[in-house]
Amino acid sequence: MDLSSLRGIVGEDNVRDNVAELYVYGADASVHQGLPGLVVKPHSIEQVSQIMAYANSQKIPVIARGAGSGMSGHAVPMDTKSIILDMKAMNRILEIKPDDMYCRVEAGVVDDDLNRALKPYGITYPPSPASSRIATIGGEIANNASGLRSVKYGATREYVLGMRLVLANGDIIKLGAKTRVEAAGYQIHRLIVGSEGTLGIVVEATLKCVPIPKYRCLSVATFDQLEKAGDTIGAIIASGAEPSMLELMDDIAIKAVNKTLNMDLPEVEALIFFEADGKVKEAVDHEINSMRLIVEQHGGTVTATSYDLKERTKIFGGRKKLFAALSRYKDGWACTSLADDMAVPYTQMAATARKIHQIADKYGLIMTAYGHCGSGVMHTKILMDPSKKESWDAAKKAVDEIYDFVDEVGGITSGEHGIALSKAPSWKKTHGDMLPVMTKIKFALDPNNILNPGKLQDAPDDWLTATKIRYQML
Amino acid sequence: MEVKYLKDWETEMNTCIRCAYCFEGCPMFKEKGWESDTPRGKVVLAYGLFTGQLEPSDYIAEKILECTFCRDCIQRCSANISVPDILTAARADLVEAGFKYDSHVNLLNKVESSGNIFGKELKAPPHPGKTPVLLGCRFLERSDDAKRYVEILTKLGMEPMTVEDEVCCGMPPGVLGYKDKTNKQKALFRERFPYNEFICMCTTCVFFIRKSYTDLNPTYIIEEIYKRLPEANPRQLGLTVTYHDPCNVGRGMDMVKEPRKILKMIGCDYVEMETFGKEAECCGGGGGVLVTDRELSEKLARKRYRQALDTGAKILVTLCPTCELNLANMAKEDGNKIEVKNLLDLIWEALR
Ligand SMILES: Cc1cc2nc3c(=O)[nH]c(=O)nc-3n(C[C@H](O)[C@H](O)[C@H](O)COP(=O)(O)OP(=O)(O)OC[C@H]3O[C@@H](n4cnc5c(N)ncnc54)[C@H](O)[C@@H]3O)c2cc1C
Ligand code: SF4
Ligand code: SF4
Repeated sequence: MDLSSLRGIVGEDNVRDNVAELYVYGADASVHQGLPGLVVKPHSIEQVSQIMAYANSQKIPVIARGAGSGMSGHAVPMDTKSIILDMKAMNRILEIKPDDMYCRVEAGVVDDDLNRALKPYGITYPPSPASSRIATIGGEIANNASGLRSVKYGATREYVLGMRLVLANGDIIKLGAKTRVEAAGYQIHRLIVGSEGTLGIVVEATLKCVPIPKYRCLSVATFDQLEKAGDTIGAIIASGAEPSMLELMDDIAIKAVNKTLNMDLPEVEALIFFEADGKVKEAVDHEINSMRLIVEQHGGTVTATSYDLKERTKIFGGRKKLFAALSRYKDGWACTSLADDMAVPYTQMAATARKIHQIADKYGLIMTAYGHCGSGVMHTKILMDPSKKESWDAAKKAVDEIYDFVDEVGGITSGEHGIALSKAPSWKKTHGDMLPVMTKIKFALDPNNILNPGKLQDAPDDWLTATKIRYQML
Repeated sequence: MEVKYLKDWETEMNTCIRCAYCFEGCPMFKEKGWESDTPRGKVVLAYGLFTGQLEPSDYIAEKILECTFCRDCIQRCSANISVPDILTAARADLVEAGFKYDSHVNLLNKVESSGNIFGKELKAPPHPGKTPVLLGCRFLERSDDAKRYVEILTKLGMEPMTVEDEVCCGMPPGVLGYKDKTNKQKALFRERFPYNEFICMCTTCVFFIRKSYTDLNPTYIIEEIYKRLPEANPRQLGLTVTYHDPCNVGRGMDMVKEPRKILKMIGCDYVEMETFGKEAECCGGGGGVLVTDRELSEKLARKRYRQALDTGAKILVTLCPTCELNLANMAKEDGNKIEVKNLLDLIWEALR
């Protein structure tokens, strides 16, 4: 690779090739560890375009990278020649148009920074994942991220009105519109959402905004049986109620929070958090009351309800701190991002949670089930001793079996975190007929296969050997 | 590289879920912008050293040393990882592998030859009494100030006793990763300052002592003042100030409200900076960065100074003598548009 060409594009200070730096950029929030050949930090669309033109001419892989918070190895390079395109310096908010309800930003803008800037205008960009404090808009678009409130507000795709994209050959194209609807061509920007950096580099995005709700009310309910909680979720959605959040936490998650953080959540089989928000208090009251009724009809007990931010933070504290709790659940065990994400039909929530517990028991692992059940999203983690090869073999079997079950019940491999490497084998197994089409699209846009190669349909069939594993195995 | 010290942190490094939540407030990342400047990046480097996947290098040492131990990452962490502790272990392993730097060695030679970081013969101003008071190197050097600060305790009904021959508590070699020198200095400190319960004037010393001496129980001078000041009927100074939370006080010892309440007790209004309390930005002086890379330390100090200036207050109050120094240098560089003072000075004014 000709370093001087890249230095010529972005300047000496914006290129790094020290092996230690490369090693850091070879990691993300997944179990994978790679090693790129170079890290380049562009500051403008033109620089991205020139980098891509150069990489394309040399057939060098390029991986766009935001915060590197992807959980399945999205930003982990598969080839030691790869260029990592660190997008974090392209972080300008270009336009805020409260009257037109959109904003325009560079791809490296951090979600929370954007929402802080929107707040004085009374508007918000709502798909925010839990990682919004560090996740970049580019990373969110690439993964079609969504969050706690997706049950009401949906995922990123619904908010991307348009974008500027740098193609693999360096061409800069404008996609989409600034209007709420459009019927003008293939709507390629919607295809780019969720493409995990394999079809183009998002450099700028026009995003739909919504008004910040004036009232928000949160309740929590206990259930002595997971199945009753599962039925409640389906019933709430089917009733036409409009929760702004509908969240499930199973008994293992509850125990983890109580054990590691000394909290005193009721040790029941399941908790459901339900929230409503809106402009009119009476309307929010109505939503909360109708959901409360459904909870009670299904044998749940509502233990707290509040509009007050401090109170709500307290009620949600256990769920919020679940990551910390899981990561310290058992001494010497690690909390790995495996089978971390899936979506299933509402009626299958409880059965999926039960199945996850059974599979974990079978393989001597610890797994919990929680998630944005209002959107059908189920999250988990595999807790295991990462130093033992047997743990990894067990995890591999568990991942396979869980996703087989998810497929059987009509679910999907990822609800919000994406596929990349560690979910690719399961996803490929169940979505085989989609792969040739994806391959054709990929070839049309990236004939030299330089954009984040080896991911999604091109990912290896065994995630365990796809890259080095970040943990040291004995 | 042999990893004697990082070995103890393997579980902790595995506990890190690499979520990047710690990027949000890290002053190094904000200043430098590469992922090796983030807390996660530094933990990944430490892990690379631990597993042998990375060979030690000056580049790695630089990154491991570029941390002010501001503890912002700990409070944002998904898994409560103490990044500064992991980095301290990494520093110790790097030192043993021969990654020693002149600026560090010079400083530690001074500590070894004189008992303090200045390499000068310094004595605590004599003050007979009952309750031992540890000044710490920086206040030892500001002997006139230290005299007044000790007097505050007298005015509050205590009988403070200074120890003329006090020496450095071992924080500088400890933070820079010189384990042998730390142990030697700690032993000398115990010999010269043979008290288990005492009052400590310096923020950094009290924090270090609480963390690294299991048998000592120092009280931070502000804790004592906070308890006793209301009874002493302090004068109302009628000033408007802004207050910089030193990292070890706000995040380290969880003391955000106490200094502010003291300001109120002495009739001072305070205007908050853009970041304050647990979110306060670091002045860049901690973690040995002031010695390792003065220019970098000053860049962080300059940012913090700007935040203070933006409040419109004419006085910037803080507690840690290193913050005071770093911020005062910035004020001086900018034509002294703001006066940097230790809160102890204001308390003294209100009591004398
Ligand atoms: C603790 C934790 C909680 C999380 N919670 C959620 C959650 O609630 N909901 C959710 O959806 N996700 C969640 N995630 C996953 C992750 O944070 C999101 O997918 C996020 O959108 C990734 O953003 P990033 O900036 O870190 O992207 P990265 O991880 O850096 O990259 C992700 C992918 O995007 C591509 N990419 C990045 N920038 C660009 C660009 N400009 N153009 C083209 N491709 C690009 C990369 O190549 C890569 O394939 C969580 C992760 C963690 C660690
Ligand atoms: S202690 Fe402060 S400077 Fe060091 S890594 Fe954490 S946030 Fe960054
Ligand atoms: S926030 Fe904590 S767990 Fe997450 S990457 Fe940083 S140190 Fe690791």
